Amino acid sequence: MRDDDILTGSLLDESWLTLEQIAAACTVEPRWLERHIEEGLFPHTECVAGTWRITALHLRRARRMREIERVFDAEPELAALVADLLEEMDELHSRLRRAGLE
Amino acid sequence: MEFKDYYKTLGVARDATVQDIKKAFRKLARKYHPDVSKEPDAEARMQELNEAYAVLSDPEKRAAYDQLGRGHQPGEEFRPPPDWDAGYEFSGRGFSPSEEAAFSDFFSELFGHMGGARGRYHTGGAGFRARGEDHHAKVLLELEDAFEGATRQISLRVPRLDPEGRVVVDTRTLNVRIPKGVHGGQIIRLAGQGSPGIGGGPTGDLLLEVHFRPHPSFRPDGRDLHMTLPVTPWEAALGAVIPVDLPSGSVKVRIPENAQSGRQLRVRGKGIPGSPSGDLLLEIQVVLPSPDDPKARRLYEQMAREIPFDPRRNQRA
Repeated sequence: MRDDDILTGSLLDESWLTLEQIAAACTVEPRWLERHIEEGLFPHTECVAGTWRITALHLRRARRMREIERVFDAEPELAALVADLLEEMDELHSRLRRAGLE
Repeated sequence: MEFKDYYKTLGVARDATVQDIKKAFRKLARKYHPDVSKEPDAEARMQELNEAYAVLSDPEKRAAYDQLGRGHQPGEEFRPPPDWDAGYEFSGRGFSPSEEAAFSDFFSELFGHMGGARGRYHTGGAGFRARGEDHHAKVLLELEDAFEGATRQISLRVPRLDPEGRVVVDTRTLNVRIPKGVHGGQIIRLAGQGSPGIGGGPTGDLLLEVHFRPHPSFRPDGRDLHMTLPVTPWEAALGAVIPVDLPSGSVKVRIPENAQSGRQLRVRGKGIPGSPSGDLLLEIQVVLPSPDDPKARRLYEQMAREIPFDPRRNQRA
């Protein structure tokens, strides 16, 4: 493998992604994401000088919510509630893994 | 290419109504949702369900599929006749080109060149300029990669437009240098490796979400590493300095006197490297020698006689 065949990636720190990048990576319209953020369905986001600051961790939440809305025709608030519960479950699984129980 | 029976995938009859199909899809989607399902192949099954639903929930695609698939059995070798889709007007709904790229070759062959992608890509008309779509993929790494950095080969299925404006799916293989210090859940951005821009717009990026394969000794949590450290009763009671092997090198850890099982020791800066580096968290687990060994048994019996020790003292009223 030649050195110029190798792509070098940059690590995204938290709050690096724009609303458009998150939307594109989740294949949702930026307006869909913006509306959900404005409705408070994405915790820990903030608007600074008209630009939403979103962490890369919101990628997963956005994909989950979109999937729930699409598969079950769910209201955004219900999709957010399911996403909250799944995140809670992730945290509990993560604790079990840390404790070596999973 | 194998023929796929989408009706069988969703468990519905060929004359099922739209409502029946939706109901069956939702029921199975709940069963195989990768976040909650205990089935080992949940992710693959969910992908199959999405693919079947993408076809059967769309009246035009379903009509074309019904006409084409008459008389074929699942798994049977299949090749669509030329111009089989003449006379059908397809419109895209529900799934994006990048999601459809994850569907089977059977789907790509039949429907890969239709659907919403064409409409979406052509939006705007003359003079329209837009940045290409960012792609997102998971990349599975070894924990050691986070300590040393690594070059990994990853394969992606990506849609692109052919000269006639049809969406075709390519497999792209990339050699990616994984930077040292990467941790689970983090995103690696490969600039310019997404979809081409439209009308001269910039190319999108490829965003790789990092996951680690399970490690026999370590459980990563962000940059911290958790590990169970087995110790002998005398090491736990008297204290000791114990060597611990890490993904890169080893460290010596001092176990304090009277360390009990379950106690956690934090070794600062010995987790995944970074600014700041993570910590190594060791959970002490006292392991007893088996009394099958006659000498061990004699010593246990001697301790039982000579040491007035009651670990349940505090539980008594």
